[in-house]
Amino acid sequence: MLSRSNLDRAGFLLFLILAILPMAASLAYAAGYSVGLVGLLSEGFTWQYWARPFQEGNQIFASFVFSLLVAGAATAITLAIALLLVLAARRSLDNGLLAHLSTIPLALPGTVLAFLVLQWFSGSGIAARIAYALGLLQTPAQFPGIVHDQYGVGIIIAQVIVGVPFFALLFAQLWHNQRIRQLMELAQTIGAGRRQRVAWVAIPLLLHGAFPTVILHLVAVIGVYEVPLLLGAQSPQMISVLTMQKYGMFDLQQKPEAFICAILYTLLSLSLIAVAWRRMKHEQSPR
Amino acid sequence: MSNRPANLARIVVVATMGLLFAAPVAYLVLVSFAKHWTFPHLFPPQVSAELWQTIWGREQGLASSVAASIFLSVVVAVGSTLVGFVAARYVSYHRWRRGLLFLSYIPFVMSPVVLGACVHVIFLRLGLVGSTAGVIVAQMMFALGFAVIFFASFWNAERKALGEAARMLGATTLQTYRRVLLPISRQPLLLCFLQTFLFSWFQYGLTVLIGGGTVKTLPVLVYLYTGEANIYYAAAASLLLMIPPLVLLWGNRAITLRFG
Repeated sequence: MLSRSNLDRAGFLLFLILAILPMAASLAYAAGYSVGLVGLLSEGFTWQYWARPFQEGNQIFASFVFSLLVAGAATAITLAIALLLVLAARRSLDNGLLAHLSTIPLALPGTVLAFLVLQWFSGSGIAARIAYALGLLQTPAQFPGIVHDQYGVGIIIAQVIVGVPFFALLFAQLWHNQRIRQLMELAQTIGAGRRQRVAWVAIPLLLHGAFPTVILHLVAVIGVYEVPLLLGAQSPQMISVLTMQKYGMFDLQQKPEAFICAILYTLLSLSLIAVAWRRMKHEQSPR
Repeated sequence: MSNRPANLARIVVVATMGLLFAAPVAYLVLVSFAKHWTFPHLFPPQVSAELWQTIWGREQGLASSVAASIFLSVVVAVGSTLVGFVAARYVSYHRWRRGLLFLSYIPFVMSPVVLGACVHVIFLRLGLVGSTAGVIVAQMMFALGFAVIFFASFWNAERKALGEAARMLGATTLQTYRRVLLPISRQPLLLCFLQTFLFSWFQYGLTVLIGGGTVKTLPVLVYLYTGEANIYYAAAASLLLMIPPLVLLWGNRAITLRFG
């Protein structure tokens, strides 16, 4: 018992009061609001608001599917580029120039990231100007719309920009921690070629080691806000943008839908966190 | 000789990625010094330092936004690092360690904006919406989750034994912290401070939601300039927003490399 003092208990109590309890209370309030038990629209228990996502033209499920697809695509592209990078330029990532430069995208806040993608890939952006200089287009309108587009290409580009250095550095660290070089040498002694060593030893080990982080990254991208707010289309919207839009509307009838979005998002995130959690290495309690 | 194509490919990959990684800062610097840089110009037709000479005078809100961002981030980082440090010690030695750590992952990973929409009601009732204090408390909700997870692995059996040895030799709780635990915790405390500082420094959605438009930090200003299509001011504000994270991340890397 000596290991836990009153100071530790006070700290934990503060953590509960400042973080866990408000979150639990607010989710309980959201659940109550969505079934008509609390809030300005409260008229007793009802499932009527929960029926809305199933009505034709409602955006909630479309928004969830869109968010999952965008997050999935961004994560897959990010992992592919980061793997390529760590396989081709691991030494530079360890302590070379790339190690320093890779910090730059990590220092990009969401608003700046969105601003940059807008400036680079909009109709009159840098990519369009390069295409103009190459004689591929004459007016900005001819440039394909990859920001504010219905496929979320701009959002995916933004998430890849910030995700690649993060995963490249993580893979570089895993390369050393999991002794992948030694395992590849072992594979070579039993006759594996270079491609086989990469495909059957290095990549599976890196992805296996990074799996919990990949899932947590997926959860984070599903809930990203600033980037789709500036780069997304009016429809479909990422779930965080839709939640905020419905929450901020003057039409109070939209508020229960905002809370339904929040509850569904919480359930989805908790499920994904639980998947990541099961694969994390947990140290034994030092009790 | 057979390695030459592979080495060439490696050089191309490193050079391409290096350029791509450096591109954000290079572009923002260029825009902040550019004048009349419109389609189809690939490079600015004119460059001038005028914007940097006049922006502080013209944009009264910029200096106050920088000050607000620094104040908020420092308070959130100090508060969540200190509370997280002691709370994680309690969590680490608790029999429900795993369950409590899982709870900590919720604020750490989930979208601050989506959860913020739910918490907004509580903050309204407490009169915290539209105030700096409200934004600090809201950001701390999420930063604390990170801090507890960060320190949970720090509090291992070795540190537990150190603390217990000090207590058995007659040290009070405060003496144990001051003389034994804090001296061996300087580096993780600093790293946690840097990370929680960055979390707060980057925050836009939660600041707007709880700040109600009255708390104007630098990310809020970048969003406003971008919305107004004022690319030159947006680039300047973006650079100001990126300087502290870059310094801190390079510092973070240096600390990690130095101490392992």
